[in-house]
Amino acid sequence: MHSGTDQKTIFEDVARVLSARSHTQAAIRPDTRIGADLEIDSVEIFDIVMELEDLYNISLPVEAASDIDTVQDLVAKIGQLANVR
Amino acid sequence: MFDSDAKKSDIFEKFEKIGQRAEAVLSLGKLPFGMTFDEILSPTRALVNGREIILAGTNNYLGLTFSEAVKSAAIDAIARQGTATTGSRLANGTFREHIDLEEDLKTFFGAKSAVVFTTGYQANLAAISTLAGRGDHLLIDADSHACIYDGCRLSDAETIRFRHNSPEDLAKRLARLPDEGARLVVVEGLYSMLGDVAPLDEFVAVAHEHGAYLYVDEAHSVGCYGERGRGLADALGVLDKIDFLSGTFSKSFASIGGFCVSRHSGLDLMRLVSRPYLFTASGSPSNVAAARAAMGEMMNGPDLSRELMARAHQLHAGLAEAGFAPASPPGPIIALPRPDELTAVREWNQLLAAGIYVNLAVPPATPHAKSLLRLSVSAAHSAQEIDAIVSAFRDLT
Ligand SMILES: Cc1ncc(COP(=O)(O)O)c(C=O)c1O
Repeated sequence: MHSGTDQKTIFEDVARVLSARSHTQAAIRPDTRIGADLEIDSVEIFDIVMELEDLYNISLPVEAASDIDTVQDLVAKIGQLANVR
Repeated sequence: MFDSDAKKSDIFEKFEKIGQRAEAVLSLGKLPFGMTFDEILSPTRALVNGREIILAGTNNYLGLTFSEAVKSAAIDAIARQGTATTGSRLANGTFREHIDLEEDLKTFFGAKSAVVFTTGYQANLAAISTLAGRGDHLLIDADSHACIYDGCRLSDAETIRFRHNSPEDLAKRLARLPDEGARLVVVEGLYSMLGDVAPLDEFVAVAHEHGAYLYVDEAHSVGCYGERGRGLADALGVLDKIDFLSGTFSKSFASIGGFCVSRHSGLDLMRLVSRPYLFTASGSPSNVAAARAAMGEMMNGPDLSRELMARAHQLHAGLAEAGFAPASPPGPIIALPRPDELTAVREWNQLLAAGIYVNLAVPPATPHAKSLLRLSVSAAHSAQEIDAIVSAFRDLT
């Protein structure tokens, strides 16, 4: 399991996973939109979420995933879930 | 009419991308989606543009759509009860035969309760959304059918996906859940796209260990697996441990409609609260009669699932010998992953030109963004028809 759950570590992990799946050259910053800027579709985002769930030993409900628009949304959601336990 | 048709915003703009994709596909030949069969001649033959073709993508696993017993039951039902029920199950749409069908399902599966719905889609939508409420958790296989996902969206429970066919991943996710609230695990029997089957015995064990209910959608596997086609759970010896089993009448049962059966009597209470059960008209008398007759054939007629599996093995071996790599071991659904969407479309057109209809499956309907040529086998296929299908694949360029 992952030890650091600070926002910076989470951002780095998220950026790494996203850049491997991105369909564009867009830079990955907190305000980057996962769908619009990286052209990652709703099915692909599910696989990405699974990878991050394993990394942080969390489960991100499907309902929460549909609220995620930007990279920061994803980072915040993971932070919130990872810190609860 | 109005002089100008000015709207605030173009409502069709969102379909632009998918429209462009469809055009690219269409430029290679016929549009493989929503194709029209001018005439259906038998469970395995149809006329398209005046030409007879072999059907190898119908989900008509037992070929019962042309069974004399099933056809005459449907015709007789129309003669006796008319063409429609014109109402919901809760109001005027429950006829004696809907109840008889539910009783037959209880007998067939050895269940305590059974509820019949207008389609299989609605059965999952209804059962999943109603069984799991606020504070509960739904744990679904990542490769679940769209209607399972839609059932989850309609439910007030939180939905968590686990890795496809992985009891270990499910166990990990169940262990993370809080103690409060009910847990409903949802999996399928035979998966419709890749034709792989679920390790239901292992899922039963994990669900039991974590105090979860197990719901299995056997839409494709009933009719094909188990004693007399009772399904995959029966084949794996765990039918009596499945909490909820859903299915459809639109495949092996040669009709249209859906069902959910359970070893718990509480399922019946759903009738009073489930929106996809309440707010739609019930299946027509002929649909219900056909489903009952098909179940009768499954229980008392010749064992068609054996013939089906023999043909499935023949097709699987033939395709492998022709150089294709089926995604799963031999079974009623044989999926061939293709390198990309346009190759799959081009081959689909070549097959049709050679007189063979198969299904084309492309993302997002397929797992892992795969483009597939998908075949389904029928007990009604002759050995010669299977040979003809293989031969058309061998001739692909
Ligand atoms: C796994 C699965 N569940 C449910 C359904 C829905 O069945 P129906 O055609 O009766 O709506 C289907 C069929 O498309 C299916 O493949």
